[in-house]
Amino acid sequence: MPRWRVLAVFLLPAFLLYSVFIVYPLVTALDYSFFEWRGIRQTGFAGLANYRDLFGVYPYDQQLWRALAHNALFFAGTMLIQNTVGLLFALLLFRYGRGKRFLQAAFTTPYLVDPLVVGYLWSLLLNPTFGPVNSLLEAAGLDSWALPWLGDTRTALPVVILVNAWQWVGFPMLLFSAALAGIPAEYHEAARVDGASAWQAFRRVTLPLLTPAIGVVSVLTFIGNFNAFGLVYAMAGSTGSPAGSTDVLGLLFYRVAFVEGGVNAIGRSSALAVLMFVFIFGVSLLASSYFRRRERRLL
Amino acid sequence: MVFTYTHGARRTGYEPKGSLVKRRWIAGAIGVLAVALAACAPGGGASEQGDKAGGDKVTLSLWSWRVEDVKAYEKILATFEKSHPKIHVEFKPFQATEYPNILATGLSGTAGPDVAQLKSYGGLQPLVEAGQLVPLDGKVEALSGFDAKLLEGAKGHKDGKIYGVPFAYQTLQVLYNKKLFGDNGIQPPATWDDMIAAAGKLKAAGITPFAVAAGPDATWTLPIVHEIFGNARYGSTKFRDALLRGEKKFTDPDFTASIKLIKDLEPYFPKDVVAVKIPDVQALFATGKAAMYPTGSFDLAPVLAANPSLDLGVFQVPPPPGSPVTTPVTPGWADGSFGVNAKSAHQAEALELVKWMATPEFGQLYASELKQLSAVPGVTPPDPLLAEMAKNYAANGAPYTLLVDFRYGQPNGDAVFRDEVQKMLAGQTDPKAVAESVQKGVGQWFKPGN
Repeated sequence: MPRWRVLAVFLLPAFLLYSVFIVYPLVTALDYSFFEWRGIRQTGFAGLANYRDLFGVYPYDQQLWRALAHNALFFAGTMLIQNTVGLLFALLLFRYGRGKRFLQAAFTTPYLVDPLVVGYLWSLLLNPTFGPVNSLLEAAGLDSWALPWLGDTRTALPVVILVNAWQWVGFPMLLFSAALAGIPAEYHEAARVDGASAWQAFRRVTLPLLTPAIGVVSVLTFIGNFNAFGLVYAMAGSTGSPAGSTDVLGLLFYRVAFVEGGVNAIGRSSALAVLMFVFIFGVSLLASSYFRRRERRLL
Repeated sequence: MVFTYTHGARRTGYEPKGSLVKRRWIAGAIGVLAVALAACAPGGGASEQGDKAGGDKVTLSLWSWRVEDVKAYEKILATFEKSHPKIHVEFKPFQATEYPNILATGLSGTAGPDVAQLKSYGGLQPLVEAGQLVPLDGKVEALSGFDAKLLEGAKGHKDGKIYGVPFAYQTLQVLYNKKLFGDNGIQPPATWDDMIAAAGKLKAAGITPFAVAAGPDATWTLPIVHEIFGNARYGSTKFRDALLRGEKKFTDPDFTASIKLIKDLEPYFPKDVVAVKIPDVQALFATGKAAMYPTGSFDLAPVLAANPSLDLGVFQVPPPPGSPVTTPVTPGWADGSFGVNAKSAHQAEALELVKWMATPEFGQLYASELKQLSAVPGVTPPDPLLAEMAKNYAANGAPYTLLVDFRYGQPNGDAVFRDEVQKMLAGQTDPKAVAESVQKGVGQWFKPGN
């Protein structure tokens, strides 16, 4: 058997699964988004009408931008908190190896729980009427801190970002740990021998060498945050309570596709799905190529 | 479940001839695809199973979103099977939130239901417009005796045909805790001012007057709260008719005033109401920490399940000052209906079943087994509180207009409304702006006079 056929035999199963479960639905969504729908019946070519509706029909026109802005905040907050803390944990574990395995396992345990469950548990903990968090704060004399965390438009999104970080902080930690282990110790030692402070050695030697890991973490965080759904849904419902202050693209899609239904739900929701895919895919590509250029400069 | 095997998919080992191998790969690929697609399809249709069951007994498949009602339906359907020995009905419930999609898909294939529980009003239209249901006009005679308001929920919005036999309706009113009222020397209010005075008294006694939630899972209840307190204030059925004729708009001062009532009542809701969820207020009410629960008839059973010893009463909210309508109102709507799949292989038997669902026999069983208000005319619920709600609706019923009339386009009237009312309770908007948003939202698709 020629070599290419052997290769084909090995590639075929993955290719088929990929086509059936990823490429086919994507192409279908694109196809659906160009049609007008009556329930599950296609009634005619709609051109860009479904896309125009998303940008032109109140309240979707406002909700779309609001959701996009919240996703951007979600991403910024996650980069700032989850990934910075993840890097800090990785450095500490790398430097002071004691209990490393146990701590790594502990930090990654929340992975095992579905975001929906995590969101539900935290919304119980933060419940203003019966929740233990506010009871504890009050018991400690911090009454003014016993806020309706998920019921105040100013605190709801930050709380969701923190809970998300609580669940996923182990992920950047693991990736950074692996990357740190891959940096030859001599570099750091040489810098210290040359008189660099610990901070300078980290800033000038370790951090630049982490660029590939930072790139991977950033892009995966971006993809995860812009596709956020389960956690926000569990903590803030399908409308992004309170008053839409936690509304994200995933929730908007859910509402357009399933909650408000409507006769043309398939057309509009497919259009939104295509927009989300193009945006996330496009930005991820740009970010990847940016980080690749940065990496090349390191060599 | 249907499994499709092809030779290619199962054969292994060395194949000498190139073209043969190629063909088999293609066949294999098709096999994998077929299995994958079959795995996605819902379970086998009951119609097929019925044919296999032998004899000429037909098995009908009945789909529903009421997973919690399996036992009751089995009992109800057993009665039907006694009088229709040649028909066996299989009750098949699905998760309520997934049901509309499952049903739309089921009705498009051959493995769908013969009879299906259908959402009402706007929720019914996608199925009607896709031609997936059988019109029942002239086929189920008993429908002519049904309440016209309830039948509207089972009609195609464009063609005006009836596509289902309504099974239930819901009414909106206030449930109250009789013991808490007695302890605080309060009577069910005769005037709006009485109600506010009672609420003030309860609040002073450390009791939450109204169990209202506006949290993440509760925004859909806000239009209901608005109906209960504000229906008379905006002018009830008269205003609704003027709205439909295009003579009035949601920006009308009366409608705005009815929204303001919610803001005015906020001090009597639980603290931080925007963070409060439905289970929280049900718990408050069931444990006697809240005295009044403005809600639908559908909540009576869950509240009593949480605390069977609760001594409950029911009242209609007295019209607030300045109301165009001076008698109390009980808003309501048709919950849903049972319709026949246009692709059913057993149309005649399916029709028999929905015909039976329009009889008092079914209505009475439904009311007593499920503790809901049956839509069949002449059925009295055995539960005294439900009977009172039914009596109030018969005397002072009015449509919950945002649900009944403004779900036929996107955005839904009540979807815009609930988001904006939550914003108002969060202090981010005012009643006038809420009314303007609703008008702006529905104004994009609503054509008066239809």
